[in-house]
Amino acid sequence: MLMVSLLPLFQLEPGQRARIRQLMGMPDQVHRLEELGLRAGTTVEMVQPGSPCIVRLDGGKLCFRGNEAFSVLVQAGEDA
Amino acid sequence: MADPFPGPSPTGNSPSESASTDALGREKAFRVALIGNPNTGKSTLFSALAGVRQRTGNYPGVTVEKKEGRVVMGDRPFVLIDLPGTYSLAPRSPDEMVAVDVLLGRRDDELPLDMVVCIVDASNLERNLYVVSQVLELGLPVVLAVNMVDVAADRGLKLDLARLERQLGVPVVPVQAHRKVGLDKLADAIAAIPARVAKASSSRVESESSAQQLPGGHAAARVSPFPEAFQGEVAALERLERNAGIPVLPRYLLERLLLDTTGYLENSGLPGVTPELLAETKAARSRLALQGLPVPGVEAMARYQWIAGILEGVVTRPKQRLVTTGDKLDRVLTHRVWGTLVFVAMMVLLFQTVFWMAEPASELIDGGKSWIGDRIVAAVPEGALRSLLINGVLEGVGGVLVFLPQIFTLFLFIAVLEDCGYMARAAYLMDRLMSRVGLSGKSFIPLLSSFACAIPGVMATRVIENPKDRLVTMLVAPLMSCSARLPVYTLLVGAFIPDRKYLGGWFGLQGLTMFAMYAIGVVMAVAVAWILKLTLLRGATPPFVMELPGYKLPGLNIVLYRMLERGWSFVKRAGTLIFAVSVVVWAAAYYPRDIERVAPELVKRQANAALAVARLEARAAELGDQPPQPPPTPGSEATTGSGKSKTNSGESKTGSGESPRASGEPSARSGESVTANSGSEAHASGSEANASGSEATTSGPEDAASELEAARRELEAADDLLAGAMLRHSYLGRLGQWIEPVVKPLGWDWRIGCAALASFPAREVLVATLGVIYNLGADEDEESESLTQTLRSATWEGSTKPLFNVPVALSIMVFFALCAQCASTLAVIKRETNSWRWPAFTFVYMTSLAYIASLLVYQIGIRL
Repeated sequence: MLMVSLLPLFQLEPGQRARIRQLMGMPDQVHRLEELGLRAGTTVEMVQPGSPCIVRLDGGKLCFRGNEAFSVLVQAGEDA
Repeated sequence: MADPFPGPSPTGNSPSESASTDALGREKAFRVALIGNPNTGKSTLFSALAGVRQRTGNYPGVTVEKKEGRVVMGDRPFVLIDLPGTYSLAPRSPDEMVAVDVLLGRRDDELPLDMVVCIVDASNLERNLYVVSQVLELGLPVVLAVNMVDVAADRGLKLDLARLERQLGVPVVPVQAHRKVGLDKLADAIAAIPARVAKASSSRVESESSAQQLPGGHAAARVSPFPEAFQGEVAALERLERNAGIPVLPRYLLERLLLDTTGYLENSGLPGVTPELLAETKAARSRLALQGLPVPGVEAMARYQWIAGILEGVVTRPKQRLVTTGDKLDRVLTHRVWGTLVFVAMMVLLFQTVFWMAEPASELIDGGKSWIGDRIVAAVPEGALRSLLINGVLEGVGGVLVFLPQIFTLFLFIAVLEDCGYMARAAYLMDRLMSRVGLSGKSFIPLLSSFACAIPGVMATRVIENPKDRLVTMLVAPLMSCSARLPVYTLLVGAFIPDRKYLGGWFGLQGLTMFAMYAIGVVMAVAVAWILKLTLLRGATPPFVMELPGYKLPGLNIVLYRMLERGWSFVKRAGTLIFAVSVVVWAAAYYPRDIERVAPELVKRQANAALAVARLEARAAELGDQPPQPPPTPGSEATTGSGKSKTNSGESKTGSGESPRASGEPSARSGESVTANSGSEAHASGSEANASGSEATTSGPEDAASELEAARRELEAADDLLAGAMLRHSYLGRLGQWIEPVVKPLGWDWRIGCAALASFPAREVLVATLGVIYNLGADEDEESESLTQTLRSATWEGSTKPLFNVPVALSIMVFFALCAQCASTLAVIKRETNSWRWPAFTFVYMTSLAYIASLLVYQIGIRL
């Protein structure tokens, strides 16, 4: 398995694209976010960084803020 | 329920066929549910299809809005049912269960559905098809409306909808709901379904084996997106139910039971959920987890996999993503600094505009009110009935209706901001503040709704999953200045805050005061939420995810509809609760009417004065057909119309300013005082001598005229004293005096105290109550004049010191901004929390907060 460096979603730069790798948190919380379209394997683009941040997802925009128990890890880079 | 907006339907397919629809009968109408994600234009589509002939209500037992519209498409009546926007049909609360129950035909109060129209955003097909994949499992015929195809095209997306239709197996229709493009095609597609259902059911009779087949021949759509192992477990649960002879749940609900790890469905009292079934469900979950299909994750995995297959070759994206106007707007509007500035400017502008835009209309309504008052005076003889009509009904309900223009203007602004997509940006900006007090931006949306009304605001807290956050939001929501406070603010700001302009007229002191009143509620809510999250309701700040809808020009129909809908509910409140409270307050202020027993000397004085006026008038008439000075109409602001003289009753307020009364002290000789110059309080004008009973011969018409004038003034003073005494000895007056020591430190007299007390059921009653009290206190059958004028000229009893000044007005406003004066809100909190503890808590904390804050405002205010 390849080592990939994962970083929290909110650390992306404006305009940077990244692929969501993992949603960390309680299964029910994760499930809710997946229903909204925030799920592993999807590509997001940072619109407004910070906490909360705004990301572009598919044709829409979501604003998102995690907490201690919940975060979205993304993989930034060429293949994303 | 009455249809508030009757009128012909705008959809071309149903030109005023309500009669034939009714004639065809309800049971024959084909029932169509509309479902889709939030922000897909579902409400716009519903309005466009159903026209203005909609009925809105609530599903009993839950706070989910029920919207229905009847239309004729093809030649058949249809009932359209607008279900709440949702990302998923995975019920985790009674509210979310409603849509599932309606779709499955499990509600006793609803006929089963015949088909479903799913609406998706063309730019977000992948995410929006999630709920569509759930709907397809329900086994109903489906038509897919792909909305906002124009926006998708602007973004450079190319959609092969014919291919989507093939791969999905249901009719797919592109629409632009806000421009009413493609609606005919959609109507055709919907109208074609009943015939296909009929055909399918007749073929089903022929072949029994196709019992599981979807009506309409969309068998392909019924294919479950789940892996076979999962489907096998669901089938096993179904068999278990059947073999045990217990009611068999619909397959979709069994699937949900297996997927729901929140425990909601297990405990929701579904029939057939036995301990054995639950045990088997748990066992099935562990078996699935071992196969790499963990619950609930397997659902998202399976559905998105299915969606990927369905969308194969359907969407072609541009190589370089186009930067849209929305993106440019978002760079500014969601910017930490610029966005916040715009937000604040927007709010200030909003309240400024609400204030001046609505003013002409308010004046018009006020004028109409006076006109009706005059007609009542002319038509109804003096007495309890006239007093009830004028002081109870007209002042009560009319006084509130005068503020309708403001309320409509505010609703218009909120609707515009909601519909253009800005509200979500505001919530995003506010999340920083909300998270600092331990809440999330999600709490901001209910709080925002509470600016219109706390009841929908409290209900809107249901979107907050975290129970503690939800409770905190609910408890502070009533601190937001709802529309019912607007009449109070408007009245007092208009009457007592100087109309000063700053910065070249851009900012007015009145508008800024209004803004401050709204701000104080917000600041207090933040403080209370912070304290609650630190003490009673401790818990981690929850994660926050919210969709930001695309910007668009607000749709005129939607905006107007929302404005009228909300405004209409306010009118209904004015017609029912406010009316009832007005009448009760009027009765409490009018009765027991035992003034002869309580203050006989005042009655006698008033009678004598009236007698004297009548006598002098008769003599003046004898002296000449045209006396040199016509009887002046004593009409100062305080007490217009010395009512009893019939000659004046029809007259309007002519020449009130120019009345000779203004010219210094009258030269009334101090004749013998006929009046029992009472043992009541020393009244400045009351102590004036009267010439009324004087038999002194007149030396000329001018003397007679001044005598008459003095007599009139005495009558007026006597009327005032009598009316004041009657109010003081009324039930309300007795109560008011009893509480006066409590409200005096706030700068209030007992009458304001009464009005505040009467406003506890519904705070907008204050305006009505002030109208009732001060009109009764002034003169009971005077023509109705503007309440603003009445209040401005109100004095402390027994003195000429004005009752209201800026600190008093501010103290009242702050009290009303913070006090829990709304029985309906407390009832809703009780229902939502299912205990009396929290409404009681809300009542106590808000009322104490209001008292302390207005005490501070007044005590500091008078020292400045």
